[in-house]
Amino acid sequence: MPYTTALRIENLRMTYKDLAGERFSKPRVLSFFERESKDNEKELLVDANMELMNGETLCIGGPSGMGKSALLRVIAGLNRPSAGKLYYFGEYIPPERHTALEIAKRQVGLVFQNGALISNLRIKDNIALPLHYHKRGTPKEIEDKVNMAMDLMRVRSQANLFPHQLSVGMQKRVAIARSWAMDPKLLLMDEPTAGLDNYNRRNLLPLIDNMRILFHTSIIIVTHDLLMAKELNCNICFLHRQQITKPRPFDYWLNSDTDISKVLFRDLHRNI
Amino acid sequence: MKLTVGQQVALFFRAYASLFNRSRSFKTDTKNIIAQAFFTGVEIFPILFIVATLFGAVVIMEVLTMMGKMGFDDVMGSLMVVVVIRELGPILTAFLIAGRSGSSLTTYIGSMVINSEVDALATMGVSPIRYLIMPGLIGGTISTFIMTILFSAIAICCGFLATKGLSFMVGDIMHVKLTWSYLSSEILDAMSLTDFVLVIVKPLVFGSIITTNACYQALNIPHDIRQVPKATSRSVIKSFLYIVIADVVMSIFYFLDYMNELSKII
Repeated sequence: MPYTTALRIENLRMTYKDLAGERFSKPRVLSFFERESKDNEKELLVDANMELMNGETLCIGGPSGMGKSALLRVIAGLNRPSAGKLYYFGEYIPPERHTALEIAKRQVGLVFQNGALISNLRIKDNIALPLHYHKRGTPKEIEDKVNMAMDLMRVRSQANLFPHQLSVGMQKRVAIARSWAMDPKLLLMDEPTAGLDNYNRRNLLPLIDNMRILFHTSIIIVTHDLLMAKELNCNICFLHRQQITKPRPFDYWLNSDTDISKVLFRDLHRNI
Repeated sequence: MKLTVGQQVALFFRAYASLFNRSRSFKTDTKNIIAQAFFTGVEIFPILFIVATLFGAVVIMEVLTMMGKMGFDDVMGSLMVVVVIRELGPILTAFLIAGRSGSSLTTYIGSMVINSEVDALATMGVSPIRYLIMPGLIGGTISTFIMTILFSAIAICCGFLATKGLSFMVGDIMHVKLTWSYLSSEILDAMSLTDFVLVIVKPLVFGSIITTNACYQALNIPHDIRQVPKATSRSVIKSFLYIVIADVVMSIFYFLDYMNELSKII
């Protein structure tokens, strides 16, 4: 393979101002004429660095409000950071091309926290929509793929329902199935296990494992469910003091003497 | 203000340009556009029919009684053309469509923005401008065009019938001597080439304005649910404003035409 890193972030700077998101009504060029204001108090991340190897799984943890979801949105191209460079599969994407559509071309998928299913389409059409749009194969192939995705996430029996008829956990499963059907090379998941019952959480973990092993997908998971990192046997990094910490395995954090361990891992000793 | 108009023009061209991108599919596009045209046009038809009939009847009666009194019977056709076909027909249709379909388009896309469904589309590589805006724009424009022609036709034909029915019911107190052959020949004589061209151009311009403005206001909503009703009212009011401005600009063509003829006569 020509590249070994799936994603590299260099000197990322992110402020609250960036969280407004992309306006699809405006031509992208216009935002370059907007004034920049330097306000250190409102910064979420300052000169943060991160590297994700190909096929690696990484959990991002940290207290709420530290910008975890915002970081995912930046990586998916929905928000643009104030400064910093992002390399996708070794390719640098300059800020003027840093849009969601451009990054989606590099097969980066994002599972939203609330699922974000298209509410006027049935479940099976929701999953089939991007496949039809990008013309991934014949209608028969697409149907097979959709059925397979629904089987994997156990939503096949709800195929003809609309998203509002499903519970939040099921919507999330459909969202994961939709991302899975696109064969992403880098998958970003925002709280995949929040709202799932224990049974489906147990089912989700082998699925993530399979994607990692069979399809060599790189996965970034934003989660509060830190035990998931242990079960997936992957590294965790935290957003701490406007920085991204170095990724370390679960046991390191559990036994180390850092601030993060004291705050976030205090109760976990008892559970294990 | 200046910037928003520029952005709307850009959005308009981006929507049409997206017709030709890689993911085009004739079947799906046609289906989406027809669905949108159906939504914009057909469901508004009952209201449009009633408004057009009553409006046509009122105009015919006013013109007949007033002009008859003043002895200008021969300008009847020109007045009908000016009032119904040229000016108020397209504008009333555009207002109806802006009030109903423009606002519902804004609410529809605006709710998708709020629920981050538009973001989800973009992260799947599905361009929101292509998937949401383009069918609305083209379908809305087509149906505005058809509805304007229908409005003018209904205003004249059903307005004529309504006038007849009214004079039959109340007795011939207005002394109306009106026949269909007289009305139709007067109107057809009064139509000029500019009228025919602008009858086609006007609804297309108005339809593009309504749908582009509606989509623009919807996509401009920040992630705040209270902005949806605000954007909806902005969509309707600004559509009215832009339509009237565009109408004035296009009336200049009539004026130029008129001046040319005037110089010929002199």
